[in-house]
Amino acid sequence: MEKFFELLTQMNPFDLIQVIFWGVAGAISFYFSIGNARVWTSISIGFFLIFLSQAYGINPWGHYQKLTAFHYIIGTVAIMTITHGFLEYYVFCRTFEISGNKLIVYISTIAVLAVSGAFLVINPTPSPNTIRNFKMVENAIWVFLCVMNLEIVRKIYAAIKDSDISKGFIAFGIVFICIFIWRGSDLYLQIFQWDKDWQDIISLMTEESSDIEEYIGRVELSQEVSRYAGLLSGISVAGSFAYMYRLLK
Amino acid sequence: MFLLPKGSPLFENLAVSKLKLPDVLTKLSNGAFTGYASFIFQSSTAILVFEAGKLVSVLVEGENGKRETGFEALSALAELMITTGSGALNVYKLSKDLTMCIHALLEGEILYKAQDLKLIDINTLLKKVKDDQMNGCLRIYTDEHSAMIFYKDGNPLGFFHDGASDIETSSSESQKIAGLPGAKIDLFSTQSADALMGTNLLEVTNIQIIWDTCVALHKSEIDKTNLERQERDRKIVSQKLAELEDQVKSIVGEYVGKVGRGIVDKEISDNGGNSCLIDADGAEKFMKGVERAAKLLVSGTNIKLMMEKLSSALSTGKIEF
Repeated sequence: MEKFFELLTQMNPFDLIQVIFWGVAGAISFYFSIGNARVWTSISIGFFLIFLSQAYGINPWGHYQKLTAFHYIIGTVAIMTITHGFLEYYVFCRTFEISGNKLIVYISTIAVLAVSGAFLVINPTPSPNTIRNFKMVENAIWVFLCVMNLEIVRKIYAAIKDSDISKGFIAFGIVFICIFIWRGSDLYLQIFQWDKDWQDIISLMTEESSDIEEYIGRVELSQEVSRYAGLLSGISVAGSFAYMYRLLK
Repeated sequence: MFLLPKGSPLFENLAVSKLKLPDVLTKLSNGAFTGYASFIFQSSTAILVFEAGKLVSVLVEGENGKRETGFEALSALAELMITTGSGALNVYKLSKDLTMCIHALLEGEILYKAQDLKLIDINTLLKKVKDDQMNGCLRIYTDEHSAMIFYKDGNPLGFFHDGASDIETSSSESQKIAGLPGAKIDLFSTQSADALMGTNLLEVTNIQIIWDTCVALHKSEIDKTNLERQERDRKIVSQKLAELEDQVKSIVGEYVGKVGRGIVDKEISDNGGNSCLIDADGAEKFMKGVERAAKLLVSGTNIKLMMEKLSSALSTGKIEF
């Protein structure tokens, strides 16, 4: 616990606020999944998993590299679960079919995470470069699936626009735009090797050089965009679920 | 149909609905019956004349006075017995000679028909009957009254007039009618009783087939009518169900939006068609399905209101069926 509070004091206040907002969003979405129809479970669980993936900064055991990698895997599973949920909702809007049950969603998510954990356990301890690769894959998947989810949300809205909760899907559209900018700017930095992780790696590798100094303006802009979009993502998720909760009450 | 002398009654007022024509004819035939059987229906009358168990004459007269004889009459009688579901059978035993006269009246050769008595020399006519040794029946009638004189070999067997139940020996009533203004006569002649014995309609017709055909025809008519009624009922039910379905769609659409109609369609299809709306179990499943789907689209307050409206609409709808 002492270690946990030590980590909290060491954290950048901005990052800490972001984690807190993701915590609130995660709590609301998890609560939402309990009291609502089965189709919402995947979506809610997915958003809750984002909080877990973002919480590595306050994880007392975060210095374990396998655990750090696991945080990124959780992030990947999160967006996949969310996408699955929105796809199910879209199928419902077209066919009005509701199948499966909540327990299977919970168990399946836990099972996928357990298999991912086992994958990390049976493999060698990831190097900083490998962990960066995990992070880059996560960002790439997030960016791709955010675009896909924006389209799904648009279609869902078009199908149910005269129902009570249609505006809630506009809110989710805003969420995915924020996440797309957040993850997209991060991915941009990673692709051009201007991210902090890569800079830390090359500082130990004398033969590698970086052109970051030449593009410092766009790097700083991307970093700021990533930070604020990340914060806005957390706020928008919490707000969207609160709004949706009110609409369905 | 004119009245006939009753003779000695064997059966009176038997309910026709409980009888089968082949059985009746077989019974009278096997019993070497001589006389006639009359079937009285609401709008028709049938007379069957038997001579020593042989069916010598059949006449069916309808409401409009249309007469049928022979095979057609048997078919018409069978049809009447099967279709009317009412009517009475009377069987009267008569002497052989009188039976012959009844046959003459029903199916004999018409020598005079509706001849005005004023234009006929009645004495010459009666003399001719006697001289020719005719077998037959002379009918004297006005619009209100009627009398018959039966002849055998030119000699009168007896007199019969309206209101009487049997043959009389007195000619006073006949003379009284003959004296009335506008009186007319019909004269029918027939073969002798012995010659009539050569005729037996039962031998040339298969009454069982006639009866079975009529029964089958009647059954098919009833089946057809039932089928038409069922079809009509089905159409009415289906129309009412469609109206109820539309009402349900409007209610769900009002709260859920345009996808509401799709939800109703899907739930109706899952529960075996719109008849589930008037079936207790089906309606319950339908309501649960709609509620479950609506939870993904509508607020709890609106779901409650919608379910109340739906429940009320379905209850009202059920009463109409």
